Amino acid sequence: MTALQIVLWVAVPYAAIAVFIVGHIWRYRYDKFGWTTRSSQTYENRLLRWGSPMFHIGILMVIAGHVVGLLIPREWLYAIGITEGIYHLGATGLGSFAAALTLAGLAILVYRRRTVGPVFLATTVMDKVMYVFLAVTLGFGTLATVFYQLLGPGFHYRETISPWIRSILIFQPDVALMAEVPLLFQLHVLSAFALFALWPFTRLVHVFSAPVGYLFRPYIVYRSRDAVRGARKPRRGWDPVQQPNPQRLHGL
Amino acid sequence: MVEEILTEGWQMTSDKTVAPATDGPLADALVGMGRFLRRGEVSSDLRSLFLEGGRAGDVFYRDRWAHDKVVRSTHGVNCTGSCSWKVYVKDGIITWETQQTDYPTVGPDSPEYEPRGCPRGAAFSWYTYSPTRVRYPYIRDTLIELYRAAKREHPDPVDAWASIVEDPEKSRAYKSVRGKGGLVRSTWDEALEIAAAAHVYTVKAYGPDRVAGFSPIPAMSMVSHGAGARFLNLLGGSILSFYDWYADLPVASPQVFGDQTDVPESADWWNAGYLIMWGSNVPVTRTPDAHFMTEARYRGQKVVTVSPDYTDNTKFADEWVSPHPGTDAALALAMGHVILTEHFVHKRTARFEDYMRRYTDAPYLVTLEKHGDTLVPGKFLTASDLGGAAAKAPRAEFKTVVLNQAGKPVVPNGSLGHRFTPEDEGSWNLDLGDVVPPLSVADLADTADSVEVSLPRFDLAPEAGAEHAGGAGVVVRGVPVRRVAGRLVTTVFDLMLAQYGVGRPGLPGVWPAGYDDPSTPGTPAWQEEITSVPAEQAIRIGREFADNADRSGGRSMILMGAGTNHWFHSDTIYRTFLALTMMTGCQGVNGGGWAHYVGQEKVRPLTGYTQYATAGDWVRPARQNIGTAFWYLATDQWRYDGLPADQLASPLARGVFADRTTADCLVESVKRGWMPAYPTFSRNPLDLCDEAEAAGKDPAQHVVDSLTDGSLAYAVEDPDAPENFPRVIDIWRANVLGSSGKGNEYFLKHLLGTDSAIRANETPEGSRPRDIRWRDDAPIGKLDLLMTADFRMTSTTLFSDIVLPAATWYEKYDLSSTDMHPFIHSFSPAIDPPWQTRTDFDLFGSLAERFSLLARTHLGVRRDVVAAALQHDTPDVMATPHGNPRDDLPLIPGQTMAKLVVVERDYPNLYEKWKALGPLSAKLGMTTKGLTYHPEEEIERLAHLNGTVTSGPFAGSVRLDTDKRACELILAFSGTSNGRLAVQGFRQLEKRTGQRIAQLAEDHEGSHITFTDVQIQPRSVITSPEWSGSEHGGRRYTAFAINVEHLKPWHTLTGRQHFYLDHDWMEDLGENLPTFRPPLDMHRLFGDEKPGMTRRVEGAGKPSQAEVTVRYLTPHSKWSIHSEYQDNLFMLSLSRGGPTIWMSGEDAAKVGVRDNDWIEAYNRNGVVVARAIVSHRMPEGTVYMYHAKDRTVDVPIAETSGQRGGIHNSLTRILLKPSHLIGGYAQLAWAFNYLGPTGNQRDEITTIRRRSQEVQY
Repeated sequence: MTALQIVLWVAVPYAAIAVFIVGHIWRYRYDKFGWTTRSSQTYENRLLRWGSPMFHIGILMVIAGHVVGLLIPREWLYAIGITEGIYHLGATGLGSFAAALTLAGLAILVYRRRTVGPVFLATTVMDKVMYVFLAVTLGFGTLATVFYQLLGPGFHYRETISPWIRSILIFQPDVALMAEVPLLFQLHVLSAFALFALWPFTRLVHVFSAPVGYLFRPYIVYRSRDAVRGARKPRRGWDPVQQPNPQRLHGL
Repeated sequence: MVEEILTEGWQMTSDKTVAPATDGPLADALVGMGRFLRRGEVSSDLRSLFLEGGRAGDVFYRDRWAHDKVVRSTHGVNCTGSCSWKVYVKDGIITWETQQTDYPTVGPDSPEYEPRGCPRGAAFSWYTYSPTRVRYPYIRDTLIELYRAAKREHPDPVDAWASIVEDPEKSRAYKSVRGKGGLVRSTWDEALEIAAAAHVYTVKAYGPDRVAGFSPIPAMSMVSHGAGARFLNLLGGSILSFYDWYADLPVASPQVFGDQTDVPESADWWNAGYLIMWGSNVPVTRTPDAHFMTEARYRGQKVVTVSPDYTDNTKFADEWVSPHPGTDAALALAMGHVILTEHFVHKRTARFEDYMRRYTDAPYLVTLEKHGDTLVPGKFLTASDLGGAAAKAPRAEFKTVVLNQAGKPVVPNGSLGHRFTPEDEGSWNLDLGDVVPPLSVADLADTADSVEVSLPRFDLAPEAGAEHAGGAGVVVRGVPVRRVAGRLVTTVFDLMLAQYGVGRPGLPGVWPAGYDDPSTPGTPAWQEEITSVPAEQAIRIGREFADNADRSGGRSMILMGAGTNHWFHSDTIYRTFLALTMMTGCQGVNGGGWAHYVGQEKVRPLTGYTQYATAGDWVRPARQNIGTAFWYLATDQWRYDGLPADQLASPLARGVFADRTTADCLVESVKRGWMPAYPTFSRNPLDLCDEAEAAGKDPAQHVVDSLTDGSLAYAVEDPDAPENFPRVIDIWRANVLGSSGKGNEYFLKHLLGTDSAIRANETPEGSRPRDIRWRDDAPIGKLDLLMTADFRMTSTTLFSDIVLPAATWYEKYDLSSTDMHPFIHSFSPAIDPPWQTRTDFDLFGSLAERFSLLARTHLGVRRDVVAAALQHDTPDVMATPHGNPRDDLPLIPGQTMAKLVVVERDYPNLYEKWKALGPLSAKLGMTTKGLTYHPEEEIERLAHLNGTVTSGPFAGSVRLDTDKRACELILAFSGTSNGRLAVQGFRQLEKRTGQRIAQLAEDHEGSHITFTDVQIQPRSVITSPEWSGSEHGGRRYTAFAINVEHLKPWHTLTGRQHFYLDHDWMEDLGENLPTFRPPLDMHRLFGDEKPGMTRRVEGAGKPSQAEVTVRYLTPHSKWSIHSEYQDNLFMLSLSRGGPTIWMSGEDAAKVGVRDNDWIEAYNRNGVVVARAIVSHRMPEGTVYMYHAKDRTVDVPIAETSGQRGGIHNSLTRILLKPSHLIGGYAQLAWAFNYLGPTGNQRDEITTIRRRSQEVQY
């Protein structure tokens, strides 16, 4: 267990997770009106109509796959009858499809962002940085899958990376698990944590305000005033205005 | 319950409603499931969710619109709006503004003024904290380093300044970098010290008239203008006119009405039955007032627009007339042809004839004079021509003559000859008694004779070799004549029929066969060939205009605009329009007559403002200068012009302009005292007084003697001599270099001495002015100091040596008025001037104080001789009998040359005078338009209101040391805001006219509008003789109502409205009568490209470029008021922003330009880089670059010049028209902003090509 390993597999993940959590709280408090996807749909729609669903459906599948592969211990899956073989088939097959869909979608979106003038003008520096890390993370993940799972002998990440992740989450980091993980997987993990650290400062915050509720909500919302008079918190030294007491008035 | 209503509502319409695509069982199921996921009550149709609370987010927008005070102010911008606004302030920060809604009512049966405003005004508060705000005093680094170094050597500021400007190396060093950045933050102390030193040094070394000030449109903030003007007038500097310089002055107005401009308020548009918007795009340029036009349509008003392009106001029109640019006069002549034919010849409309008799010069007699072997119209017949007793009456040369029913000559009341003579008191009126003068001498039973007269025409290009006779031909037409006092005479009306080509049986000459005859000028068919407007349309509109006027008693109106007023020959265009309103009896009638756009020209409290700004309470007269001529000489545009005056002349000219350029006409005008000119003489006027004293002579006599013996000359004769340069120019409330400066590149080169893109060559030898000394080395950088005060960075501040940070319109006290509404209202500070800004009032006070301090050692008390031009509304206007200037008379100040007035300049006490009321207001009275007001009672009241000066040389004088006190002075000293003075003026007028008029103000004799009043609410003005209309009894103001209803004469030769002008120069220009003159042929006159030219240009190593030459017009913009607001973020967002040129699809196709491409437009004057807006609303052959595009937004480097380039005025230049220079004769007499050469710019052409789309900055 070298110092480098501790830094890479303990310090970096925790730092990234801390930045991720604190960053979101900070962003929500100080930039509530900047919490947005900064949609460019009004500037361009033709490419977006293909690129955006491809990317988003793909990335949702990718995320689902990671949840299944990383967070759920394989023994639990065995228990419900998902054997190693079935899992591998599903993970590699569906995973490759999802990766292809995501990368193709991303390619369209990046192409669009660079070539459509109004969209490019609306692109911030943080957008560009985010795209790099997103693409790098996806790239390493795809390469690792292609080299080890499709072409190679297969790497049993559910014996190494998955328990390591879970060890991080339960605050008992087990560095040794990552020692023998192939480089491509290691790079994939590190770039992913970098992406997590960047997350709160980019448009990716929109993940947490995805308009899922709209599916279940009537489209007109009426909000009547609540018991507290005025929308503002009462300030010190100011008594709220009250209805005059009619009895007292008549008594005068 | 809510649910029920909603459900019911849904059911009521559900039968017919197509359900939205998202409706269906799936959506219902999803939303239905939502019930279990959230709180709140869902309506039965699953459309609405009802929640309680959760409104914390409201705080955000409530805070956004929260404020702790609202202050009334307005916008001091030259837009005619003068709208009152509420300015909102929160925590000492201006947050936004909204329109005030409390204008006094217009009364029943009419729409109200409220609401007034426009998007530009609503965007103003952006400036307060914007990046363009000038926050601190700035001085260019080169200059400040030179000055600080000089100060080490010369501790005295004036000596230090002298050591810089008199050193050629040093002065070139700071002048050549003007406009190239380098403005660094300084302090008020240092900036004022340098500015004061420059003023003192210039007064001392070169003369006070070498200091000039430019600040336009007093009505848009009277005290801000007046404070600076007062400082300069006490100093003896000259104030430059702006109305004529902006080409907004319709020269036709003084020519026809003898009045600067007087027009109806916009609520009177509502009263019109027939409205022609002629070259005026009302919704765009008079946005707050446009609603009266749109509302009047619901009352049945017919609306016609005349405009070459499909303008915004055309949307509102019943009919759109689209003539070629600049040909409007031909259309108006044809309409006049129809009206004269149908209402004066075929049928005789009693109302029109009666109006023409009483209120116009139509029945007046004009002599016919020999010209070669033909006859031409000559001079008005006057009493002096009649012989006998009539000729012996005082001022008989100015008493014009009509015939009575018996054919005998009579001298009616009301002509100029009656105006000033004591013997004629009570007879200066329009009362004809029982005389019914015949309009035509043919109306007299015993008239049998007729003769042919020759009239010039200008619609054809001159033949080669005959260019020096301006026009191309002559039409010969007959008029009925009589002999009176041995002279052959006819009436103006007879000449009008001849001019308009309206034939009558039995008259000789060439007449059209009918409306459809294009062969001779005047007919609808003739105009069609010139304007492209179908003859049938011209006939219809002319006919309808007159028919409506006949049936409605004169409620036909022409609302005219800059589209027809900024041409070189706009005076002739406007005269043809005015003729239409006069022959149909519309002037002076509510809902009728002309409605010229005026800029924010009308200072309703005129007398008080004038007194304050001219410092007339301390010293008279002020040096008021004609702006156009000043800039023409100061920027050396005269060196490139060389326009031969005789090329403008009539083919029937007698040679007045032979071998002379228009610049020579200016010299003659100045030498005769017709027009003012400052700098005046070739020496310092202070020194001239010292010389006279040394010689024991009167300074005026000394000047006359020196001029006679040749030892003294006029500065206009040698404007390039260093002693005649203007040395200091103060600019405030203005943007000459980004907005009004016609010939921008000439300004940059010769006046400022920095880089320019002039492409023209100087006039070659042989074509140069005869009377101006030509110096082979043109001066570069004449000006020593350009000082500008502004609240935002403009082209002018960028080129200035010193920039003073001014307060905005929300940071000071001031007054505003306009011609568009009858109210006076206030500016009030919403916040104190932020950063180091100061109000214009304060900054000129500070400068005056510093000036006085330095003056103690350098100037002391001096005497100054002021050359004052022969002035309108004074007996000066009788200097030239018959409009025939003579060369055989000696120099007599006030008659054959300017008046020479010696005044005292108490320089060390200048600041004390600036902030106190002087004694002359009471001692001499205050004269406005020939009536003198005596404000003794007002001074007494002001002493209590403002307080008095407690110590010093002027102890006891009324204090004027704050802007609010100056406002009180203006209001107290004007008839419009003080009923006592209005009545006082009317009583004088009653004495002069013998008519009862004062009842128009008597019921307001005790009324006095104070500044507090106008802070509370805009206040309607009191009817006053300062203006020609009446607001009495809540009536809508229309110009000349007093003249028509109370028989007060117009301030003209006959006392009536003039069709005919008989000055020698008008005669030689061929403009005795309303006529059509096409736009200047720049190809013929200057060798510029011909409009319509297309070519391909091969560049060295570049692909060849297609070029097209087009007319270049700079109309008023939708997204700015001149240069104001065009840099405002909101306006930039609403419009395309930055420099743009609108062009037609056809022209764009010729040069391969697509919409939004970068193009370059160039001509002899310079280059402009802009984006093309290709629009089908533009006519082929004409492009628009909306006025005014400043240098501050998106100005790339031009390929053509290599310079950063160009504003809209880089393609224009100054062209002087001789008829604007006439003075000293009846209504053709100078007054400040009343008459003077216009800064016209519509006749320009430009060549356009597509440029590289890679622009660099």
